Amino acid sequence: MALGDNARVGEVVESSSTGFVAQSYRLYGAPHLGALVRTGGPYPAYGVVHEVATRGIDPSRRPTVRGEDEATEEDVYRSNPQLEHLLRTDFRAVIVGHVNGGETRYRLPPSPPPIYAFVHECPTAEAAAFSSSTDCLRLLAGSGVAALEEVVSAFLKHVVAAQSDPHAFLAGAGKQLAALFPGDFRTVESILLRAAP
Amino acid sequence: MSLDLHKIAGQIQGMASGLSARRAEREASLALALNTLSTAQADVIEAKRTRSQTTFLVAGLRGSVARRHPSPAPPSDYAALAVDGSHIDVDRHLAAWCYLINLGTVHIRYGERPMAELGSLPRLYTEDDDMYLRDPGSGRTQALEGGLLGALRAVEELRALADLAEQSPSDIPTLALIDGSLILWALAGQAYQEFVRTALIDDMFLPAMDRLRELARNRPLALAAYVSLPRSTDVVNALRLDERLCPYERANCDMHCGSLSAGRRPCDGVAGVMDRDVFGAILDYGECSDVNLTTSSIVERFYGDHAVHFFYMNAGEEIARVEIPAWVADSPGLLSLVHAGLVDQCRKGHGYPVAISEAHEQAVVTAGDREEFRVMVETALGAHRLPVYTSLKDRSKRLKWL
Repeated sequence: MALGDNARVGEVVESSSTGFVAQSYRLYGAPHLGALVRTGGPYPAYGVVHEVATRGIDPSRRPTVRGEDEATEEDVYRSNPQLEHLLRTDFRAVIVGHVNGGETRYRLPPSPPPIYAFVHECPTAEAAAFSSSTDCLRLLAGSGVAALEEVVSAFLKHVVAAQSDPHAFLAGAGKQLAALFPGDFRTVESILLRAAP
Repeated sequence: MSLDLHKIAGQIQGMASGLSARRAEREASLALALNTLSTAQADVIEAKRTRSQTTFLVAGLRGSVARRHPSPAPPSDYAALAVDGSHIDVDRHLAAWCYLINLGTVHIRYGERPMAELGSLPRLYTEDDDMYLRDPGSGRTQALEGGLLGALRAVEELRALADLAEQSPSDIPTLALIDGSLILWALAGQAYQEFVRTALIDDMFLPAMDRLRELARNRPLALAAYVSLPRSTDVVNALRLDERLCPYERANCDMHCGSLSAGRRPCDGVAGVMDRDVFGAILDYGECSDVNLTTSSIVERFYGDHAVHFFYMNAGEEIARVEIPAWVADSPGLLSLVHAGLVDQCRKGHGYPVAISEAHEQAVVTAGDREEFRVMVETALGAHRLPVYTSLKDRSKRLKWL
């Protein structure tokens, strides 16, 4: 799906040099796993979404079953309109690059994105430009996030659709992954198989 | 050293044993109450009430005492409004003389266009006029703190509910809910002078009731107060006047039974039974009782057209007491809205009206909030180079030195 330039999806609520947590503006409105997002701030950071979570806003209040008498899951929300205000969707992103002086750099930013920085889901053209260098995989592959193979393959699947030559892109990505996971042929193969269009 | 739980454990066991031993006695009292209820003639009891002088609060019976009403279906589209409040009382150990009231507000719309608005209205009261009620005639004052501040909070909750109702769309049936009682019990009795009741009831509470009633004239809007786990005994006390429990044609508790010790009066066979015990035995899920009238002196003296009526309702897990003003009690349509709406609210809220529950969540002031508030007050005073003093007692409690 091609995204418009104004695909602002949330704001940073936790921030560090290597990643950030953003709260989605809409319940269940977070970008998908592996999506490329960009923050605002003095050093706009690129991040790959590696975890999406929805929970109660008040940690002391646990959601409880509400749908026994409802026909569909949608009816649960229709019958309890306040839930939209009591639940929140957050997503975590690992920083894979940043913008400094107008240039995209595949390194960690000098300072992390500020709290409340807006988070945009990168439109197709921006995702294509960012992933034009396979260096974009370096920080992600070394991040150690949970289910790393799944996240890397989801990221590749997102950006491969933006490439003019997807096969050449995946071939380049494969070489980079082979260097980033030396001797781990099975991991590289597994990632590429899942990323193929 | 905090509470020594080992030392209290034995006393707790003793309490449980005592309650267990009195169980048979309580069951016998409930059985007698139910038996009386099953044959009681409400009109006879009501007539006797009006010519009697009792030492206990007796419900004004308007219908039958044992009739049950199944819940009507709720409207497909309706709105639930609710306000609840919390406060931070005046603390003489705090460096500033002030109090805070936090009102939680909820507006939930059900049906074709579901939506919800949750909010809170915290307000700090610091001015002299906020801290005291004044008698314009004599100049006497009454400090607003403790129980009186609780009454002010209840008044502010109703005023906020009237605001909320005025701002809400008028196109669908609307249930406006308050947590607790409509009766300002803190102002009953002789604890406060008349100007206090005038200021809180005549000048603040009743105008808010008037606004709600005015709205209800032009749109389907019903006001109800919801009492969870009620301890009231108005209906059981009415049963005390039944001829089988009270042999006197014109009961006068002080004259006829004033010399008898507790438990020896003829009507004490139902002592200890609460209304919720009786209605718990006869109401099925969703059903409610007939509507009765409260005869509390504060309502009779001050509430006028807003006289508080009540009924009991089986909300699923408990029997609740629902209080409504006369203009709701006298309108079959509004009464039906209250009954059906509250059953639906309780179904959605796991046994408690979801709108009130969420209003409470918006209003709640936690122990952490209270401490943070104290720090903020002291920080603000310090920033203005004002003396930040506290009592040595308070400092001693906080520092806990050895």
